[in-house]
Amino acid sequence: MSNEHDQHEPAQAGEPDATRRQALMLGAVAASAVVSIRPALAQSAGSVLNCEIPVPDAGRAGQYIAADGQLVPPDTPGAFPPSPRPFKGEEVRAAMQGRSLPGTDPQRSQAYTNYIRRLQHGQSGFTCYASLQNPRR
Amino acid sequence: MAGPCYEADAPGARLHRSLDALDLIYHRPSGMTHMVSEPVPQILAALAAGPADAAKIARRLAATHDFDANGAEDAIAARLAELEAVGLVRRA
Repeated sequence: MSNEHDQHEPAQAGEPDATRRQALMLGAVAASAVVSIRPALAQSAGSVLNCEIPVPDAGRAGQYIAADGQLVPPDTPGAFPPSPRPFKGEEVRAAMQGRSLPGTDPQRSQAYTNYIRRLQHGQSGFTCYASLQNPRR
Repeated sequence: MAGPCYEADAPGARLHRSLDALDLIYHRPSGMTHMVSEPVPQILAALAAGPADAAKIARRLAATHDFDANGAEDAIAARLAELEAVGLVRRA
């Protein structure tokens, strides 16, 4: 084998080196050779526009939403009451592009949108919002 | 007896990264990533020369690789069925 080194060439980008004789393990018929990974966000591709984002999430229902999106105690001056219904991914995407969320005026829509932007992993609606951020959608 | 004939997308449809004993293959058309072991990358490379059944792929691989010819066709046919199931190859 030591006299084969002069035939060695780098593999073409992305493809196995086909210029040099290699030992190949074909494996047993029953030995699976493929494990596939389907990203969780990609899996929800068809449902992104129908996923829902509650404002705020059920764990903090009743709190008001300040203009900057922070949750504040009920009846805080200048803050907005919770949305009576969750928003659809499609509605939130439109709001990100400047439209108001349905049933809200521009100030209230802005506060809700700011709340949604602050969503973090584990909070209700986060996965939906993250899916909207995916540039391939 | 000739088995089913398979074809694969052009090599440019896949992004390969070697991780020592395993390869990662990102399949652009489906957006899926596959972790594969030998002989999958070699079978896909062999299909770049055109559609083939397991016997033909074995002959193509034999031109560049050393392997145990005993049961090779069956092993390759099993991998082709697996690759068909995940969408990396299809019946030609």
